[in-house]
Amino acid sequence: MILIPCPWCGSRDAGEFAYGGEPTPRPDPRTATREQWRGYLYLRNNVAGWTTERWYHRMGCRRYLTVQRNTVTNEVRQP
Amino acid sequence: MKRQTRRLDRQPGEVIDRGSPLEFGWNGRSYPAYAGDTIASALAACGERVFSRSFKYHRRRGLLTASYTDPGCIVQVGDEPNVRGAHRLVTPGMDVRSQDTWPSLAFDVKAANELVGRFLPAGFYYKTFIRPRPLWPTYERVLRRFSHGGVVSPDPLSPELSSYDKRQVHPDVLVAGGGPAGMTAAVAAARAGARVMLVEEEHSLGGHLRWGDKADLAALHDLRSLLAASGVEVLTNSVVFGRYDHNHVAIVQRGLPHVYERLVKARAKTLVVSPGLIERPYVFAGNDVPGVMLSTAVRRLINLYAVKPGDRAVVLTANPQGDAAVVDLERAGVEVAHVVDARGGDDLVRVLGRGGVKGVELVGGHRIECDLVVTAVGWTAPLTLLTMAGTVAAYDSRAARYFPGTATLPDDVLPAGGVVGDGTLDELVAHADAVGREAARRAGSMSRREPAAEIPALPVDAHPELFHGPTHGIVDFSEDVSSRDLLTAVEEGYSSAELAKRYTTATMGPTQGKLESVNVVAIIAEATGRTISQTGTTTWRPPYAPVTLGALAGRHREPVRYSPMHPWHERHGAAPLVAGAWIRPDHYGDPAGEVLAVRERVGIIDVTPIGKLDLRGPDVPKLLNLLYVNRWSKLEVGRVRYGVMCAEDGVVLDDGVTGRLGDQHYLMSTTSSGAASVWEWVESWLQTEHPGWQVHVTPVTTSYASINVAGPRSRELLGRVVAEIDLTPQAFPYMHVRTGRVAGVDGCVLWRIGFTGELSFELHVPASYGLHVWETLLDSGNDLGVRAFGIEAQRILRLEKGHLIVGQDTDGLTQAFSAGLDGLIRLDKDDFVGRSELVWQAEAAAESRLVGLHPNDASVVPEEGSQLIEAGVICGRVTSSRWSPTLHRSICLAQVATEFAEPGTLVTVRLPDGRSVPATVTEHLASVDPEGARLRG
Amino acid sequence: MVIVGGGVHGLATAYYLARNHGITNVAVLEKSYIGSGGSGRNTAILRSNYLTPDGVRFYDRSLKLYERLAAELNYNVMFSRRGHLTLAHNDSSLRTMRWRAEVNKASGVDSEVIGPADIKKLVPFMDTSERARYPILGALYHPPGGIIRHDAVVWGYARAADAMGVHVHQDTELTGIDVEQGRVTGVRTSRGSIATRVVVNCTAGWSTLVANLAGVRLPVQTFPLQAAVTEPVRPFLDTVVVSGTLHVYVSQTDRGELVFGASVDPFASYSTRGTLEFVEGLAGHVLQLMPSLSTLRLLRQWAGLCDMTPDFAPIMGHTEVDGFLVDVGWGTYGFKAGPVAGETMAECVATGRTPELISAFGLRRFADGSLVGEKGAAAVGH
Repeated sequence: MILIPCPWCGSRDAGEFAYGGEPTPRPDPRTATREQWRGYLYLRNNVAGWTTERWYHRMGCRRYLTVQRNTVTNEVRQP
Repeated sequence: MKRQTRRLDRQPGEVIDRGSPLEFGWNGRSYPAYAGDTIASALAACGERVFSRSFKYHRRRGLLTASYTDPGCIVQVGDEPNVRGAHRLVTPGMDVRSQDTWPSLAFDVKAANELVGRFLPAGFYYKTFIRPRPLWPTYERVLRRFSHGGVVSPDPLSPELSSYDKRQVHPDVLVAGGGPAGMTAAVAAARAGARVMLVEEEHSLGGHLRWGDKADLAALHDLRSLLAASGVEVLTNSVVFGRYDHNHVAIVQRGLPHVYERLVKARAKTLVVSPGLIERPYVFAGNDVPGVMLSTAVRRLINLYAVKPGDRAVVLTANPQGDAAVVDLERAGVEVAHVVDARGGDDLVRVLGRGGVKGVELVGGHRIECDLVVTAVGWTAPLTLLTMAGTVAAYDSRAARYFPGTATLPDDVLPAGGVVGDGTLDELVAHADAVGREAARRAGSMSRREPAAEIPALPVDAHPELFHGPTHGIVDFSEDVSSRDLLTAVEEGYSSAELAKRYTTATMGPTQGKLESVNVVAIIAEATGRTISQTGTTTWRPPYAPVTLGALAGRHREPVRYSPMHPWHERHGAAPLVAGAWIRPDHYGDPAGEVLAVRERVGIIDVTPIGKLDLRGPDVPKLLNLLYVNRWSKLEVGRVRYGVMCAEDGVVLDDGVTGRLGDQHYLMSTTSSGAASVWEWVESWLQTEHPGWQVHVTPVTTSYASINVAGPRSRELLGRVVAEIDLTPQAFPYMHVRTGRVAGVDGCVLWRIGFTGELSFELHVPASYGLHVWETLLDSGNDLGVRAFGIEAQRILRLEKGHLIVGQDTDGLTQAFSAGLDGLIRLDKDDFVGRSELVWQAEAAAESRLVGLHPNDASVVPEEGSQLIEAGVICGRVTSSRWSPTLHRSICLAQVATEFAEPGTLVTVRLPDGRSVPATVTEHLASVDPEGARLRG
Repeated sequence: MVIVGGGVHGLATAYYLARNHGITNVAVLEKSYIGSGGSGRNTAILRSNYLTPDGVRFYDRSLKLYERLAAELNYNVMFSRRGHLTLAHNDSSLRTMRWRAEVNKASGVDSEVIGPADIKKLVPFMDTSERARYPILGALYHPPGGIIRHDAVVWGYARAADAMGVHVHQDTELTGIDVEQGRVTGVRTSRGSIATRVVVNCTAGWSTLVANLAGVRLPVQTFPLQAAVTEPVRPFLDTVVVSGTLHVYVSQTDRGELVFGASVDPFASYSTRGTLEFVEGLAGHVLQLMPSLSTLRLLRQWAGLCDMTPDFAPIMGHTEVDGFLVDVGWGTYGFKAGPVAGETMAECVATGRTPELISAFGLRRFADGSLVGEKGAAAVGH
């Protein structure tokens, strides 16, 4: 079990968290084209290496937080 | 009873307790042993040499390594299959049996396989039984009967085999392997201030010192004293079987009282890996005949168990361990007929004998009679934990073994002992001492200013590269793979180590490659004309040692949720329904009667699992407007509204009602199954998209017990337990909310809503008073005919009313328009979650619609999931169906292709039994009271 | 033309290009050894009991190709028709099982919902009592389902393709794709360049990275899928057993080992190192189904990489770059589709037209908002 550094609770087992994935900016719904909207829905960078992602401390402070994780080695660091 | 004819006089390092004799059973016969004996040592002491039959050819197999990894001594103990007989200690009355033998160990019918052995080369099955195809299933049935291993039973296991548990530990330094290096490192780390745990696979610490000479035993004695004084926690008969990311280390601990195996999960700050070395078998003809053993096996047998391994031995030696084995053998009274010194280029050609060693053939054809052949040809470094930590093993041809590439190890893993190098005991100890101190420093147990420990380099002894002799022999003993099989694989093009391994199944068996992987790579390298380094290595995959499913599972518990009214349900014969975490009353024996009670009189149902979120703050209307497809800005205090949530792709996510309790105070309800996910959904929008909004979210699902009081007489019933709230239709109309006292309980919330389609009130009462309110309602309504109803009655009632269930009448791709929610969706709102997709969906016609459906034959209830088929093509499905006790007919909801959605359309339903029945699309989703007069009453 | 990925999809595509279309000027690039990726790491379960008629038709074709594969390739792929049970532990999954059974039957595929007593007859070790935490209410029984020797499939296709003139380059990693004016002109590899007008991306785990080389973005996220195997015991389990609620599937090989799988890891990663929590959860769930297996020992765990798409359906066919085709996004169900994917991709490449069988799986569907409907029942799609 990898550890996720929660800025409020400290390092905790990843099992306490829900994985939120890469944050994708929400396009302005009034002007977004279908292409843009569906890019927001479906396209992710899926990087093999360092990536910035969101986790939700479901069994702890219940805050959404951002961490950097290397998707190859699973090393984790604070952004 | 058998006698211990091979037992030697007392040995200085023996681990058996001659003061504690015992008896155990082997294939139904009684055998003597001493406490401390393994199954194998006890049997060997009685002169037994054959313990199993091999996998493919059913050749007789005896002891090879006399350790956990011994492939020849895997046995059945009672109901437990695949017990390592050379590691498991005997206990009084233990029932041990050989595996894989039929009808008996001595006479094995399947040994006939050996006679047709020439038909079982590498890849045999891939190349045969192809035509005619119908034959393969027949061959397969035969083949499965040959499968190797012990027996499991469907009957419940005895308590001693079924208790397991888990333990969490947080050591500063965890040391894997309790030989001299591990012991030293543990002591050094503890002295440096670290909390240390030391784990050893065998039953006692000391590694090879235990079967060493006087000086070794004295050194071991000293190390044990140091360790005892150091405060290190020692686990023996325990194995570190995995090092996972972020130094999450898994240990299986065995031999505990009351617990069969325990999984110890360690979050180690630093891990020291000191597993020692594993002796490698030699590949030559007859190397698997009982009586061929590794030098460490005979040294264990003699020194630890006082067992004489043979009478006349030939020893092939290439290193000091082999030389020491010769000394041990002579001391034990074994005649050493010949020593073949491989360092001088001498070699063994083959072993003579089938059921047991009868002699050997030397180079030049000279034959020597003997009953024991001992080989000492080199070592394998068990690198599993280190490769799991990221190291890439590198082969050193001068030392004839692999080493960990330390440069690639993370900071929190340090190797020590034989996996790093050789040297004298003093050199090993000095190295391990420095590793232990450095491990403590890296764990933060010493001052940060403390400089890194200087870890001395360990010398690496030269060793001849000895993998196989001039003849072919077994490479993988547990899989019966020979060196000839590997050559066949290479010839057929499976020339990389991984492909040849997979093709021949070498290294895939219970020894997990520990004995054979280097020999496999070496033989493939030679066959392909490459070096061992170019050929690479086979992957060491976890676990390092096999671990029971019981230990991994531990005391597996799944949490269960009950409502405060559960004791009442149980007393009144409720049939339990598992709904996620909740156990709910499905019915109380008569769901149709429960339905009629609600339609005609009054019923109460426990709806506690409904998700409830308490929302407070000035920006709650913004949040509701964002998350629901309908409009919320103008919800007045005291009003309740139904809402539907969609995801950003326009798919229906959840539904429920939300009431406004005060100026800035709302109570939101969700589906029972959506309680947790909707809360998370709300938090995600608030925290990540709109952190500026002032909304406090508190989950109150289990803070309230929820009871729905439904039926034409529900107002009357409620009136008897409510004093201060005016329940008249004028004062408390449909879709309104009131707060106040119910049955003497303050702080209750009452909603006038109606999932059942009847006049009904949903009460949310403080959870600890739930049972009280429930019982008070029932007591107060006797004369009204009040009755408890369960989930099944509620399903029927809501279906009669045509209310959809998200997830049943919709699925993971149903968008809001397909769910028939057109009237609710307010595309004129600026924004809400999923709006964009719904705008585009509104432009294109929805492909399917949710409709009501009545089978023309009112007595036919098509099962949910039945398909609607027109002209051979599926055009819809029944999502909900029940017999309606109210209408005395079958009713359904169905998703149908839009062209069939018009009321009055005749469609064909195919029933699971194959019959097709006509059904008609109804005008409304509701079959009962489509106008809603009842629930507004 | 160049096929990237020497797994069952790439090799089958090469094989059917040669066999059905006479195209043998094909190079298959494999960065490690053939079958080293998902093809050699999956649990080799075959079935066609899908939820949508399109899915059923597609996988039924695959199963039929598998059934005759041994004879066709003259190589025993050891297809073992064991029957496949998908357990339902609650009424909603039982409803989905009926839905699937009825769709299957309508498409001529043998599937039936059976009750606990029949399940107990098929699997005597199963706890079908009502005491269980998640009682078994029924199961979707699919007699044609079974298991196969995954390596043999890879090797059989590779041998046959090789015999027809296809070149399989192992230890050859793709490093670049040359695109000029919107069309493919060649590829670069760790062992030299190849001029080509057609590149087919048949990778799993790395499909987005390969597509990025051609400038194509895929709606794919990579998740590890873990599996494990026990020590062998005497045969006691004939059928393949899947429980979506308990996230586990189990079968027993001809060698006697139990092979276990589960759903993908909870977060995206390119790690194949495996985790402890996986084997802990797995063991707990297996023992909930078959409590008397406590003493059985886990021998080996491993992980493969799965490319998950938003609708749990693959992405197949042409892309916006002329000559760059994809056969990716196979999630956790790629192996069972190997033959039909190879057959249809070969047709797609050879004719330039998208076969009807895969027309629903095009990359455009995401931008068009017309997703495939397998998501409804794909919780554990093995």
